[in-house]
Amino acid sequence: MSDEILSLAERKRLRAKKIKKHGLANILTHWFNVASWVILLSTGLALLANPNLRIMPQGYIDFFSHLFGGVGQLVQAHKVFGLIWLFVISYNVLLGFRRYFVPFARKRMLLTSDDLSWFREYGKKLLGLKYHLPPQDAYNAGQKAFGYVVILGTVTIGLTGLIMTFAYLLPLELRGIVQWLRPLHFLAVGGIVTGLVIHVYMAAFFPEEKSAFFSMFNGDVDALYARLHHKKWYEDKLKEERAYELKVRLEELEAREAETPETEKQATA
Amino acid sequence: MANQVKKYGFVIDPRRCIDCRACLVACRAENNVPLDNTRIWVYDQGVVGEFPNLTQQFVPYNCMHCDNPPCVAACPSQATYKRKADGIVVIDQDACIGCGLCLPACPYHVRFVNTQTGKADKCDACVQRVAQGEAPACVATCIGGSRLFGDLNDPLSEVSIALAQAKTIKQLPAVGVDTGPNLYYINDPVDEQQLAVTAPHMPASEAIYQKLIIPGILAAVGTMFLGQAVAFAKQLRKGESEYDE
Repeated sequence: MSDEILSLAERKRLRAKKIKKHGLANILTHWFNVASWVILLSTGLALLANPNLRIMPQGYIDFFSHLFGGVGQLVQAHKVFGLIWLFVISYNVLLGFRRYFVPFARKRMLLTSDDLSWFREYGKKLLGLKYHLPPQDAYNAGQKAFGYVVILGTVTIGLTGLIMTFAYLLPLELRGIVQWLRPLHFLAVGGIVTGLVIHVYMAAFFPEEKSAFFSMFNGDVDALYARLHHKKWYEDKLKEERAYELKVRLEELEAREAETPETEKQATA
Repeated sequence: MANQVKKYGFVIDPRRCIDCRACLVACRAENNVPLDNTRIWVYDQGVVGEFPNLTQQFVPYNCMHCDNPPCVAACPSQATYKRKADGIVVIDQDACIGCGLCLPACPYHVRFVNTQTGKADKCDACVQRVAQGEAPACVATCIGGSRLFGDLNDPLSEVSIALAQAKTIKQLPAVGVDTGPNLYYINDPVDEQQLAVTAPHMPASEAIYQKLIIPGILAAVGTMFLGQAVAFAKQLRKGESEYDE
């Protein structure tokens, strides 16, 4: 967060102003992903039933296998939900590849020198030292890092899951790779869940990110939040606003000029 | 009560086997086993002795339905399990993910990947026949009476009587693990070395998964969770001031 000092009146004014951060497609994809993760993570944990792999208590595993009508149905359900998740996510990414994904990757994901110093300064903050967080873009360095984990993890989970779902079609000589895909699948899920702990805490509990949380419902963040947490992005937005205003005013002028009759022009001349 | 629970097992007398292999055909027909695979075997141990005192042993062979099956311990999805009611070790084909971990886990090498389904397969003691009170197809078809099947917990069953009257009894011990096989060879010594019984084998990937990856991820998630719990406690103690309006 920026350490600039703002008057209460200024804070109130900025808080009332909304800036659009997420489109509807983004919001729907996010909540679809959440629902899928809840289902797939809970059934996936129930599939680790072997005592050598078990994480959850036996009661949890029994509950889920009974809920789905047996271990076999649970395995099939996990595969089906996984395929639906994979299809929708990749469909959304491919559909909006040029319009959303490429600009997103180019403008919002690249790490800058400010991001690197953000990591340093945030480390100082965690250690209780004096710190000064540099201005951040639409996503701060921590969010970008989690973004990479999620993208890499999602691709890994999707590919390993897809191969394992259809492993029975593999020739026998290739069957050994399934034994490596299972730990890989787990590792990718674990990596995302590790970051997810921060993600959920920040969104649902951390007061400073309240605006970001509600932006996942209505798409808007307030200007105060944007200014304090995402200064670079906020300034870009201000520039955009100014450019738009300028354009509108120019158009107005041109329109007025076109409306004025010829005789009047001559008279003023 | 212990003796109310059934414990199905096989008793095999190799002396009575004439290597006709009708049991292989019966098993294939009963269980739709593809031609590339077989669930049961008859091993020819070769001619022993010097002419004219020659003997030749044929060893009917299939899943031992162990008391402590290493394949069940190896199966990640618990598709393979030992039935509580009668001790038959079966595979839930829906739950099997076809990873193939159970194949090297079995010291008796009775498991294979079915070439038609792509999933693990093995002798299931013809559970569909047993449910009807009949013997497995291989036992029902055995013309010499070499293969016997029944409840080992019932002292009046065919297998219990055969064991009681047997001159010698031999179970095949696995290397390094007490599997408690429920297949007994009677009246004729059978050599487990010749049948290539081994120790259960676990691939490196699985060891890394169990010993390294799962504890590592649990530690990472746990540390992160603790960190956030501390942050949350701090936040609660501080209270919300600036953002209350």
